[in-house]
Amino acid sequence: MSSATEVREVKKSSRIQISRGMITVLIGTAALFIASALIAPTSVSKVAFMGMIPFAAVLAIIGLGQTLVVQQGGIDLSVAGSVSLIVVIVTWGPDRNDDKLIGAVIAAFIAAIITGIINGILVTKIKLNPIVATLGVNALLYGVMMGLSAGSPRRTTDRLANFVNARYFGLPATVYFGIAMTILVTILLKTTTFGRKFEAVGANPRAAKSTGIKTDRYQMSAYVIAQVLYCVGAVLLGGVISQPTAYQGDEYVLPSVAVVVLGGTSLLGGRGFPMASAVAALFLKQLDMFVLSLSVPFAVRTIVIAVALLIGVALYTVNWRAVRDRFQSMSRRNLPSEANA
Amino acid sequence: MIRNKKRGLLIASVSTAAVMLATSLVSATSSSAASVPSWCGPKKITLGFGDGFGGNSWRLVTTAAVREEAKLCPSVTKLYYADGQGKTDKAIADIKGMVAKGVNALVYFPDAGKAMLPALRAAYKAGVVTVPYRVTPGGTPGKDYTMFVGTDFQLAGKNWGEWIKKNVPAGGNILMLSGPAGNSQGTEERKGLEAALAGTDYKFIGANPFEATGWDPGKSQEVLTAAIAKYPKIDVIVSDFGPSLVSALDAAQKTGWKIPAMAASDGNVLGCFWKDMQATQPNFKLMTVSTQNDHSRLATQWAIALATGGKKPANKQYPSLVFEDSVSGKPNPVQCRKDLPGDIYLSAKMSGDKQAKLKSN
Repeated sequence: MSSATEVREVKKSSRIQISRGMITVLIGTAALFIASALIAPTSVSKVAFMGMIPFAAVLAIIGLGQTLVVQQGGIDLSVAGSVSLIVVIVTWGPDRNDDKLIGAVIAAFIAAIITGIINGILVTKIKLNPIVATLGVNALLYGVMMGLSAGSPRRTTDRLANFVNARYFGLPATVYFGIAMTILVTILLKTTTFGRKFEAVGANPRAAKSTGIKTDRYQMSAYVIAQVLYCVGAVLLGGVISQPTAYQGDEYVLPSVAVVVLGGTSLLGGRGFPMASAVAALFLKQLDMFVLSLSVPFAVRTIVIAVALLIGVALYTVNWRAVRDRFQSMSRRNLPSEANA
Repeated sequence: MIRNKKRGLLIASVSTAAVMLATSLVSATSSSAASVPSWCGPKKITLGFGDGFGGNSWRLVTTAAVREEAKLCPSVTKLYYADGQGKTDKAIADIKGMVAKGVNALVYFPDAGKAMLPALRAAYKAGVVTVPYRVTPGGTPGKDYTMFVGTDFQLAGKNWGEWIKKNVPAGGNILMLSGPAGNSQGTEERKGLEAALAGTDYKFIGANPFEATGWDPGKSQEVLTAAIAKYPKIDVIVSDFGPSLVSALDAAQKTGWKIPAMAASDGNVLGCFWKDMQATQPNFKLMTVSTQNDHSRLATQWAIALATGGKKPANKQYPSLVFEDSVSGKPNPVQCRKDLPGDIYLSAKMSGDKQAKLKSN
């Protein structure tokens, strides 16, 4: 965990610099694609890639939101409820009527902003633990979703499906949304005063407060912007899946946290790496495709994913230098290992 | 049925022999006009109905069918519904909650299988007429629950197998997709399919007994895409939730992939997709078995009959029937109602128009 101290600093010169997390996740993703090509070549074929990439884009956008919250030392477990609710709003709402789609999308964004404000107030004003607060809001969102649709969304409207799945230069629109959102969040964080203060608050709220920054405002904004990003991701997801279920968000909670960690953003808060999170989303989805393409049973697939995640997370959370030093000193002194090694 | 007649030719063309047969089996009594069906006895009861996972359109129609059925019987004074949302612990709590509310009869779709047995047993021991249906919870009827209203999933597999032999006679590679890993429905279907294809040149590709999709359209899309990329030659796709594959098939055909023959379960979206693909996908033959929304009706009739003291229905099992066949047109050609949502099931007793109006459980 001592790497957290490195992460928590805000270096002026490092604002656009490529982070360690980015380098790690890029190398990891490149290695995964190479491994895919060698071990399960079909997992990098055009069909597989085109099937995987929209989901990677959606996960990337949702992961960006989670990155912002984690930067503030928080965590947002309401991802499941909000994504599910938005998918229901944009599919059940218009009920295949293209003319009602715009209204539904606007309603979705309003719902997202309200959710973000509720999360923000619970965490910053009422000082609830983010895990408890967002979990509670998650249940609330499921309640609203069930109240609306009773658990049965409708088929995606043609307009949404066509818009989301349209190809430009060979890639679906979702990919461009993913890239655009990543660039937007990066610019927001790395080049604006807001972004600098945002990172400062995340790194050390007390120090930030003593310099006169209104910390609550920044923490609150993290939850609100996160919800808006989930909303973008969920609207796209509603278009990608022509026949969604009511619980489509369930599959995004843990992956959204996983991409943040894989991207190198510390769970303790501080600097955030949106681009690295987005690449990590690509990594995770390609990993899915890779194991699906391996000729191994379902149980082994699950284990392969778990091991890959473990390695990825261990790269950041284990202080390898300390481990190495300890082993070296152990072998030098030939002392028995300590229990808390 | 009277309702259907009123709706005129359009619906009449959709209502079909198979549907009639299936529905007449479960509603032989309920169709006898306004009079109370024979399975509805005099004793007043509260009915509970629950799903392990209720979050898709199939369940919406299925639940509405239960409501329709319960309404036919004036002895049912109250109906509770609960959705386990795919969480076994919630499903168990749902059952306990309904027992606590004092239901006299409980119809339950135990998605989680054997994990639901203790909760069902507790309900049964508390004196509730407990009728799990469709997915077996294990255990013994009369000891752990009142009775199990199943369906012969192996027969669906056999129907698919026979059709494959006839329409893809040269043999070939078969890819099968089903719901959660290890679910009993998919396992049984695979058995039936293998039995029908025994001693032939067909080869199963993909995971054994099936590729797990959790019946989730997003997961189905990933799984099918991986399989399409992995196996250059897929001659038949078998799926027990055909409609959930449409978005994946559509995405794949846009990359130039040719859709093979498909043996599945029905759904409006699938029928309409087949029609749309006719011009460009000559290999895409389609056969469906009924998706059996009305299975819940038979289970409800049993539960009500046993709890109210009515006449027991004739069948303990819901039949598996072929619904559409794009090649022979028998018992029906492929059905598509473009004017209705994709997520309705034209094989169900409830009319497509009525299903389209359903918005909530």
